[in-house]
Amino acid sequence: MARPSHPEAMTPHRPGSTRTAPPQVPDDFWTRRRMLTYLLFDATGLPYMLVGLVALRVAFALGRGPEAWASLMEQFSHPIYVALHLLALVSVLFVGVRFFRLFPKAQPAKLGPAKPPPAPVIVIGLYGAWIGLTLALLVVLGGIWP
Amino acid sequence: MAAHSGEMRKRTFVVTRFDPDVDQVPKTQSYEVACRPDWKVLDALNHIKDEVDPTLSHRWSCRMAVCGSCGMNVNGEPKLTCKTALSEYGDVVEVAPLANFPIVRDLVIEMDGFMEKFQAVKPWIITAKEKAAEQGTNLQSPEDLAAFKQFSMCINCMLCYAACPVVAKEPHFLGPAAIALGHRYNMDSRDEGAEERNEIFRGEGSVFHCSYANECSEVCPKGVDPAAAVNQAKLGAVVDWASSFVVKRSR
Repeated sequence: MARPSHPEAMTPHRPGSTRTAPPQVPDDFWTRRRMLTYLLFDATGLPYMLVGLVALRVAFALGRGPEAWASLMEQFSHPIYVALHLLALVSVLFVGVRFFRLFPKAQPAKLGPAKPPPAPVIVIGLYGAWIGLTLALLVVLGGIWP
Repeated sequence: MAAHSGEMRKRTFVVTRFDPDVDQVPKTQSYEVACRPDWKVLDALNHIKDEVDPTLSHRWSCRMAVCGSCGMNVNGEPKLTCKTALSEYGDVVEVAPLANFPIVRDLVIEMDGFMEKFQAVKPWIITAKEKAAEQGTNLQSPEDLAAFKQFSMCINCMLCYAACPVVAKEPHFLGPAAIALGHRYNMDSRDEGAEERNEIFRGEGSVFHCSYANECSEVCPKGVDPAAAVNQAKLGAVVDWASSFVVKRSR
């Protein structure tokens, strides 16, 4: 079975003489594995937005002084906040892995006179930079250095 | 003729039917067919047409995945039916016209919208000055050819349009195959029309509608990888736009 696409999808500017049925997509297209993965990728925008709002709360609490800050830190131990941050972490990992997989082939065939490096090198570089930056942040935020 | 080993298997084909003179909307019709083990989906459709129901309409031509005529949605997935073995499927096979296209009749879709998008990207070599025949051919190195050859392998089967979630929602979007073809000419060392095409790429049917779902490349039967072309074209269109502020344009 099928459901309608946009009624003008792939419709010519000058319609032909034959009446046509409107464009359709398979009814269950969004439940198919690849499309579901893509829709989940799109849905990761929601946890990012929520974490962005939380970040605003953090900034406001910081401006209100030590008591507001301490209160917010206490709120952050609530299971809802923990769940949100875990969801955001999973979203970042999911988007990162997808992005790194698709990034190499989006590179131009030539960068001026040079060619971009082979795809495996780009992917290793991306993962290396990601892991390196994460470790650097952990070292700084964890108080290990400086 | 080669002998066909293995037993016949009965399958039910649930086929979309639409008669513009009678039907308001498409419906489905089921056919029970005893299929040979080596059959492709197209073989079954041809059998239905020849032996069961001559009113069934579908397009096909070369039977070897070159002409791009026999694209249809098989169990919801855009496929070249001449290349798709029935052995991949179970007892019930749903065959529908390519998604996202107006339906002319049964499994036949309206192609004119696709042809308009194709023409829009100026898929020919554009040069500032016509070269006289006596000046010889335009030479191209193997390396120059390699830069775009992949994108020139498209057979215009339109499976990528049927798979694209953006095509389903954004009628102006140029779409994967047309952008891949435009990008193919932009990458051609003999061509000087990149500025014109990049302007089209930034226009109403913009390449930036693409959200990189990558579905077009997943279903492409020829390994063209239109998603790569579209996303390379995005970068090209941006670089072209930015450079227009610093480099004076000839046209």
